[in-house]
Amino acid sequence: MDLYFWVFASMSVLAGLFTIAARDALPSAMGLLTVFIALAGLYLHLHAPLIAIFQVAIYAGAILILVVFVIMLLMAPGERLAAIQANVSYRGAGALLGLCLIGLIAVGTKGVSEIVSMKALPEGFGNPSMFGDLLFRDFLLHFEVVSVLLLVALIGGIYLCKKKL
Amino acid sequence: MASLTHYIVLSSILFGLGTVGFCTRRNALILFMSIELMLNAVNLMLVAFSNFMGDMAGQVMVIFIFAVAAAEVAVGLAILIALFRHVREVDITKFNVLKW
Repeated sequence: MDLYFWVFASMSVLAGLFTIAARDALPSAMGLLTVFIALAGLYLHLHAPLIAIFQVAIYAGAILILVVFVIMLLMAPGERLAAIQANVSYRGAGALLGLCLIGLIAVGTKGVSEIVSMKALPEGFGNPSMFGDLLFRDFLLHFEVVSVLLLVALIGGIYLCKKKL
Repeated sequence: MASLTHYIVLSSILFGLGTVGFCTRRNALILFMSIELMLNAVNLMLVAFSNFMGDMAGQVMVIFIFAVAAAEVAVGLAILIALFRHVREVDITKFNVLKW
């Protein structure tokens, strides 16, 4: 069981590193795809099969495809994006910042496993029918608000892509 | 069995990677992907807590984050395309018209 976690965890971290370190945007997008798939594997392990499916269908299937389309649209054929100028001090500062953030969170959450009592999962935890029950009863208002948000984003996206803005 | 701490540390590593990517890269598309990485780290944290506390509400929150991420990408990429029409460039250091 532990091996399952370590395989997907290391996969997601390595792919995440590749995402931020890749020279061009397209390999970077492929790294991000790997992160999404690895996280979907972890969600399965965490009794969230529906979230795992949505992760693959929405993130990897819709959002990333949109990003890849834009990458292909903006990069004219044959043209490569300008090489990143290696600015060592800038990058070093960024790496230090990230390490500090990770360390801070790791120290802050030390022992949280003991504080959060591991409850016995209720019957049928994580199955889609229970999920839908919760989403469309307790969170119905939030659901409707999110649909308005998506509509606004849709209109905004179409407006921004007009030829003459 | 991986404990909650494992998931929190993994999630914070992914969030840290996203932050570093956002702070150090100059390609606007990679900045978007870094933001996606950070949102995914938060999703992982929510699902992990949902599992270890036996509360499904965390998983519902993840769906809302999906919706927000979709909206963010749609509008953000539209802005990027509109900017690209003017500057012919995706390097954020070239977007300096508003710089004082």
